[in-house]
Amino acid sequence: MAGSALIIGTLGLNLGIDFTGGSLTEVSYQTAPEKTELENRINEQDLGGISVRESVDEAGRDAYLIRTRDLSEAERLELEESVTSLGEAGEVSRFTSIGPVIGQELKDKALYAILGVVLIIVIYVAFAFRGIGTPVSSWTYGAITIFVLVHDVLVPTALMSVLGYVAGIEVDVLFVMALLAVLGYSVNDTIVVFDRVRENLMANRTETRTKREEAGIMLEDVEYTLTKPYPEIVGAAVSETLARSINTSLTTFVALVALYFLGGAVTQTFALVLMAGVLAGTYSSICIASPLVVAYAQHRAKKADELK
Amino acid sequence: MTESTQPNTQSSQGFIRTFRALVVVGIVLGLAFWVYQNAVTPESKNPFKLGLDLAGGSHLVYEADVSKIDSAEVPELMNVLRDVIERRVNVFGVSEPIVQVESSSFVTDEPVQRLVVELPGVTDVSEAVAEIGRTPLLEFKLYDAELAAQQETLQNLETLTQNATGSKAEIGNVTINGEAISQELPFKDTGLTGRYLETATLEFAGGNSGQLSNEPLVSVRFTAEGADLFADITRNNVNRQLGIFLDGELLSAPNINEPITGGTAVISGGFTADEAKELAQNLSFGALPVPIELQSTQTVGASLGAEVLGKGMEAGLYGLGLVLLFMVLWYRLPGLVAGVALLSYVTIMLALFQLIPVTLTAAGLAGFVLSLGMAVDANVLVFERMKEEFAKGVSSREAASVGFSRAWSAIRDGNITSLLSAIILFWFGTSLVKGFALVFGVGVIISMLTALVVTRTLLMTLPETKKDSQTLMATLFGNGLKK
Repeated sequence: MAGSALIIGTLGLNLGIDFTGGSLTEVSYQTAPEKTELENRINEQDLGGISVRESVDEAGRDAYLIRTRDLSEAERLELEESVTSLGEAGEVSRFTSIGPVIGQELKDKALYAILGVVLIIVIYVAFAFRGIGTPVSSWTYGAITIFVLVHDVLVPTALMSVLGYVAGIEVDVLFVMALLAVLGYSVNDTIVVFDRVRENLMANRTETRTKREEAGIMLEDVEYTLTKPYPEIVGAAVSETLARSINTSLTTFVALVALYFLGGAVTQTFALVLMAGVLAGTYSSICIASPLVVAYAQHRAKKADELK
Repeated sequence: MTESTQPNTQSSQGFIRTFRALVVVGIVLGLAFWVYQNAVTPESKNPFKLGLDLAGGSHLVYEADVSKIDSAEVPELMNVLRDVIERRVNVFGVSEPIVQVESSSFVTDEPVQRLVVELPGVTDVSEAVAEIGRTPLLEFKLYDAELAAQQETLQNLETLTQNATGSKAEIGNVTINGEAISQELPFKDTGLTGRYLETATLEFAGGNSGQLSNEPLVSVRFTAEGADLFADITRNNVNRQLGIFLDGELLSAPNINEPITGGTAVISGGFTADEAKELAQNLSFGALPVPIELQSTQTVGASLGAEVLGKGMEAGLYGLGLVLLFMVLWYRLPGLVAGVALLSYVTIMLALFQLIPVTLTAAGLAGFVLSLGMAVDANVLVFERMKEEFAKGVSSREAASVGFSRAWSAIRDGNITSLLSAIILFWFGTSLVKGFALVFGVGVIISMLTALVVTRTLLMTLPETKKDSQTLMATLFGNGLKK
C-alpha cells in the first residue's frame, strides 16, 4: 500500500484531456507517415506544445494520437487537412476537444463523487453493523472498510501511474468509472466477511442482563461475553467466506478477461484497471480487513488491561 | 386419514412448484423474444439506443453567456435557447438529434450554463458547427448618452495630448467614481432580445418617411410579451436612440420618435436583398436569446463506432459463456440454475435498456460485461451457505431454504452500499457517468431480484435429495470440492 502511494507520488498520473482540457485527434492511415514527419507538419501550425503517440485504431490500421491544447473550429480544420495530406489514405477517425473549464469541472466532480461514495459507505457500514458491540464498535468496522477501500483504489491507481509513465496511457473519465466500480466491489467483498463475523459473534456469546435503578428509572445493562476468543471467531468467518470470495472474484475476473482481449482498445485500460482492483479487493478483504479488526481489538484489550 | 392425504398434498405441492418454475422460465423466454424482436425489427418502437461513440456522430458543447441575465430567468432562457438550436438542427436534417441544457454542478466556483448538441451520423462537424453558428443573436440596446459623453471626452483628451506632444498617446484606464470607462459601444441592455421574436419577414421600404426607396428591410413581429416590453422601452425613452445589434454588431440606431405599441419593428442596415432575405429566414427559425460559444467537440467515425460495438458485444458473449461455464463446473446442478438466473438477468437488463431507454455507450457496455461477473455473487453466497448445510446432511430443499435466509443479510448490506454509490454517482456525474451509474444501479437491483426469484424458484423445483443417499442427484447437488 505504501509502495502504491510512493509510485503514485513519484510518477504522478498522466491526466488526459478529459481533465486538463485540450484536444485529441486520432488519425488512421493505410500507409502511415513517419512520426517525425507528422510532428514537423503539425508544428508548422503553431499550436504550442503537441504530443504524438503511435497507436492502432479499432479496425487495425496504423494510427497516431495527436494531443494539443483545445482547438477552435478553424484550427481543427487546418489540423485535419495537414495530417491527412501525409501518408496514404489518411482519415481522422476520432476527434475530441474539451475546453479547460469543462476539464476542471470534470476533475472536481470525479473527486467529489469518490469522496461522497466513501462517506456514504462508512456511514452505512457503521449503521448496518450497529449493536455488534463486543469487543469493537460498529464504527471500527466502518473505518476498516474505508481503509481497505483506500488500499483497493491505490493499487489500480499505481498501476495506471506506471502505465502512464511507461506507455503514456492517460487517465480519463473511464478510469474514474473503473475506480468507482472497484470501490463498489471492494466494499461488497469486505461486507460479506464482516457479515459472517457478525453472525459468528451472535452465535458465540452469552448475555448477562443486570437491572439497576437510577434516579427512579429502571435501567437494564446487557453485557455480552464471548464464548470463544475473538480472533478465532474472525478467523472462522474468513475461512467460511473464502470460497465465496474466490469464486466471485473468478467470475468477475473471467468477464474482465473477455473484455480485455475482445472488447477493443477503448475499454482495454478500463478492464485492466478493474482486474487489478478485483485482485486487490479479494486480497484485502481476506488478508487485510480481518487481521486489522483483530489487531485493533487486541490493542484495545491491552489498553484496558493497562488501565486496570 | 393422514396417511391418505399426505401423498396428495405432497404431489400437489410438487405441482405448484413445477408450475411456478414454468411461469418464471416462461416470462423470461417471452421477454427474451420481445427483446430480440425489438432489436432486429428496423421500425421497432423500442430499439436499442446507441450512444455517439457506438453509432458515430458529433457531440458539441456550447457555453451560454448568461452573465448579464437575472439568475431567476436563466432556466427559462436556456429553454428558449434549446428550442431555437433544436429548430436549427432539425433544418440540418439529422435523424434524432439531441439538444439539451446542462448546468454545471455546485462543485464549480462559477455556475455555467451549457447546451449539449448531439448529432448522430454527422461526422463532418464543421458543417454542423457552421449551421448552428448561423443562428443570429439579435439585441435591442438603448443609446447611453452619459457613457458616450465620457468616451468623447477621453477621445478629446487623447487628441489634445497628441497635438501637444506630437506623438500618438493612449490614455488607458480612466476611472470616474471608481468605475472604468467602458470602451465598448455606448449602448445599454434593455432585456429585449431575439427571444421575444415571433416572425421576421423581408420587406422593401416604400420610400416615405425618409428611407431610401426600395431598400431591403427586415420587419420583425414581437410576441405579446415582447410587444409590451418594446412599448415600455419606446414610451420611456422618446427622443433617444435604440440600437439594433446583430451578433454583437450595431446594425442601425434609429431615433425613437414616439411610443410604438403595435409590436413590430423594422431592421435596416444597408442590406442587399439577398442578405435581408437570409436574415429574415434565420430570424424566423429563431434568434439566440444569449450569446453562445463552442466549448468542446467530439466526433467518432461511423465505421469506428460499429467496430467498437461489435467488439463490445463479442466480449459480452464470451464473458457470459465463461461465467456460465465456471458456475456449472463448480456448482453442478445449482450452477446450472444460477446460469438460468444469469441469463434472466441479461434478458431483463436488455429489455430495460430498450424500455427506459438507456443510451448504450462503450463505457456502458464495459460496465455491463463487468456486471455479468458480479451478478452471480448473490448466487455464490447462497450456494456456499447451502453447501454447508447440505454437507451436514440436511435435505437439499431445506439446505437451499436455509442458505437463502442465512445469505440474505450479506446480500442486503452489499447491495445497499452498491445502490447508494450508484445514486451518488448519478447525482454528481456528467452525462457519461450518469449512464454508467444507471446501468450499475439497475443492474444491482435486477441481479438481486433474479438471484432471489429465479434461482430460488428453480432450486425448490428440483427433486429432493440428501447427501447420504449416494444417488446421481446427490452428486449433482454437491460441488467441486469433495469433502
